Amino acid sequence: MLRLPFLRSIPQVTRVASLGARTNSTGAPEKVEVFIDGQPVLVDPGTTVLQAAAMVGVEIPRFCYHERLSVAGNCRMCLVEVEKSAKPVAACAMPVMKGWRIKTNSELTRKAREGVMEFLLVNHPLDCPICDQGGECDLQDQSMAFGSDRSRFTDITFSGKRAVEDKNVGPLIKTIMTRCIHCTRCIRFASEVAGVDDLGTTGRGGDMQVGTYVEKMFLSELSGNVIDLCPVGALTSKPYAFMARPWETRKTDSIDVMDAVGSNIFVTHRTGEVLRVLPRTHEEINEEWLSDKSRFACDGLKRQRLVSPMVRDSSGKLVMVEWEDALVAVARALQSAKGEELAAIVGGFADAEALVALKDMLNQLGSESLCTEEVFPMDGAGTDLRSNYLLNSTIAGVEEADVVLLIGTNTRFEAPLFNARLRKAWINNDLRVATVGPNVDLTYETENLGDSMQVLQDLAEGRHAFSKVLNGAKRPIIVVGSGALQREDGAAVFQLTQRIAQNARVAANVGHDWRVLNVLHRVASQVAALDLGYKAGIEAIRANPPKVLFLLGADEGVISREDLPKDCFVIYQGHHGDRGASMADAVLPGAAYTEKQATYVNMEGRAQQTYTAITPPGLAREDWKILRALGEVVGVKLPYDTLTQLRARLTEVSPNLTRYGDVEAANYFAQAIELAKLVKAKPSNTPLDVRQKTLEDFYITDSISRASPTMAKCVQAVKKQRQSKY
Amino acid sequence: MATVIANVRPSLKLFQSVLTCSSRRAFGSTSVLMNEDPLKLAQLKEAPMKTLEDLFTSEKQDSLITVEKKVDIGCVTGVPQEHITTRHVRIWKPVKHAMQSGTNNTHKWKMEFESRERWENPLMGWASSGDPLSNMQLSFGNKEEAIAFCEKNGWEYSVTEVVDKQPRPKSYGLNFSWNKKTRTSTK
Repeated sequence: MLRLPFLRSIPQVTRVASLGARTNSTGAPEKVEVFIDGQPVLVDPGTTVLQAAAMVGVEIPRFCYHERLSVAGNCRMCLVEVEKSAKPVAACAMPVMKGWRIKTNSELTRKAREGVMEFLLVNHPLDCPICDQGGECDLQDQSMAFGSDRSRFTDITFSGKRAVEDKNVGPLIKTIMTRCIHCTRCIRFASEVAGVDDLGTTGRGGDMQVGTYVEKMFLSELSGNVIDLCPVGALTSKPYAFMARPWETRKTDSIDVMDAVGSNIFVTHRTGEVLRVLPRTHEEINEEWLSDKSRFACDGLKRQRLVSPMVRDSSGKLVMVEWEDALVAVARALQSAKGEELAAIVGGFADAEALVALKDMLNQLGSESLCTEEVFPMDGAGTDLRSNYLLNSTIAGVEEADVVLLIGTNTRFEAPLFNARLRKAWINNDLRVATVGPNVDLTYETENLGDSMQVLQDLAEGRHAFSKVLNGAKRPIIVVGSGALQREDGAAVFQLTQRIAQNARVAANVGHDWRVLNVLHRVASQVAALDLGYKAGIEAIRANPPKVLFLLGADEGVISREDLPKDCFVIYQGHHGDRGASMADAVLPGAAYTEKQATYVNMEGRAQQTYTAITPPGLAREDWKILRALGEVVGVKLPYDTLTQLRARLTEVSPNLTRYGDVEAANYFAQAIELAKLVKAKPSNTPLDVRQKTLEDFYITDSISRASPTMAKCVQAVKKQRQSKY
Repeated sequence: MATVIANVRPSLKLFQSVLTCSSRRAFGSTSVLMNEDPLKLAQLKEAPMKTLEDLFTSEKQDSLITVEKKVDIGCVTGVPQEHITTRHVRIWKPVKHAMQSGTNNTHKWKMEFESRERWENPLMGWASSGDPLSNMQLSFGNKEEAIAFCEKNGWEYSVTEVVDKQPRPKSYGLNFSWNKKTRTSTK
């Protein structure tokens, strides 16, 4: 409207030309040119000053702004001068205008920053020497870079500094609220990402406080992330309190194995001890977040560890022995059994290297019954087609979806970061989510379609009310939880899911690059095991009880002594003295994920590797090396002596296992659906259920978290919170 | 023989003085020449002297072709064979640390060796290592430089690629939008 008089005033020819330019520009918005400290940069309209500056590598200091949270604009640290603007502007909230000349290092800008720093420090305690954030504190760094070199604060004898009572928000987060600078990052994280709207502010001005108003635990599976977000030391890690300074630790990049997401992590360690685990940004997997189990269960790596080989003696007790004796005892047992009498079960923490070494060894001994603890229906195409058992849409891919149907899964606790993605899409893209299964709180609005198998059948046949929504979706995604496939009628669940996915795919008429069918795994080793040709589920072992059973980190108790013949020799190889080791006749101590360079494939089918942070405790060794040595004693020479050779073998079996970082896309959905027609399993009447329903079920699920005192404290705290009236 | 003389000539006087006090046998054939008259020696015909320019702009040089050859400096660096053939280098670009908002440490590519066993030293309880390369972390301007360095030194390496992302447009106004879920209730 404002433009009209201007357009009228210019001659006809130019007007037409300019209109033409405008119609063209509707396709892609015209870029806006701005100048950051004299450097020109072309940005999309709506880009903030701070983002534009970041594009040319100019970093504007900030406290409240965080890339993955909404813009708050309340700390004022990002004030910058814009030429011809009367006042400095907050770079984080201000969209750029054409031709703006932004000065990020001018006299005015520096003065503004210095003023903000002064106000922040007036009410900030000078306890950096005893503060856990010391050394990795934004306030500390920025006061050095942008603050004044002297203080004008003289009021210390009169009214003193502001002091705030500490809050108790659970066993994970330590709060020292006097240090809080009111950036509200934790509040925004809680309400936007975690979806637990418990944190907020009370009071105004100097009396403002961040907290839960009433004493309440921060009931979220992602709560630990506020420790990272806090730019000062107001929220720090309780288990890590006063443990170490960041400059005296080593940080090793690694991959998390507590769930099948494959979050990228830093392992912080010192003198052979893992001190803490931090998230490492990976845009396509965990962004910048980490679930509490992945972050805090690391103290379980120090407890209940198997530190020496053990063999059961004549009195039935496991006694510590030397490696030589243990290997000979195990080799004798393996040699005593014929091929078919050997079997192996692998657990959720097994890495691809150990998996292939174990498989090579047992195959050479003549055994084919190598199974995983987790069940996956082998009817129809089973695990022959890779697309059947992957999260084909990828984790980041759900951001493009418009309708998601979750079948028999509680994503919030089975894969918290996948759930955070769903929530992100729900907020920003108006994603519609429906669930089949128990009505659990996923932190965002979901339509619960019920938990009976009839719902699935109705959906597969297009009779259900929701079928209309599903068929109207442009980019639908169907996710079936591996928990639902553990059932007796898992094959029927999977077949129905395949049919629903196929119908949705046909209705949406999407191309081959959009994948509808997804399986959400719960343990880190499963995809690699299936890629390597392990049988999913131990049915084969139950049907044909072995004389020698090899457990590779199998701790979930899927098989017990009662299921096995009396004289069955059980070998356990793993890192924790848990269910598996307690039923074993020989124990071979292996390495945990922080102690070996190993390959894990996440639920998307993305191979990633952990790096060695610390040395395995005691006599424990890397898993593949144990198997290699055992093979030598048994008389089966495994053809690899180094990790490189072993990885060459992995590549030989399945090339995707060593293409680190890549998602190897799988197809053949049409073929899989054809084969699924052969499935004869009938759906049962039992309703679909999930194992983890509420937060207290989340913390303790595997051998590491069972050994972790922090996780036990969390369960206690959540239970206590449930009794509270708040 | 002529070249030998040419070499000897500049320090002729020195040689003579040396000869007078040291064993003649030690100098072999040169010592024979020494016995002759120095003036006569000076008149002997020499090979034509070549300057550096002649060497570099000779006709022969033009007919040569350059063959790209893998440079392997492993044989002259003095690095023990054990630390060349058995080591694996990882090349990657660090990401922003989750605890802080600064990005200054994310601009360079890094290389690091695989870590080897560390143990607690009984003296002080600190960590010991037998690996001389455990603290060697080098920075490079780009990936190619890091790769070239590893190839030159004969180390096996693997590269972790950077996962890029598109910046999400953000706006302060989204906090107040009336029909979107981005609306924030709490502060």
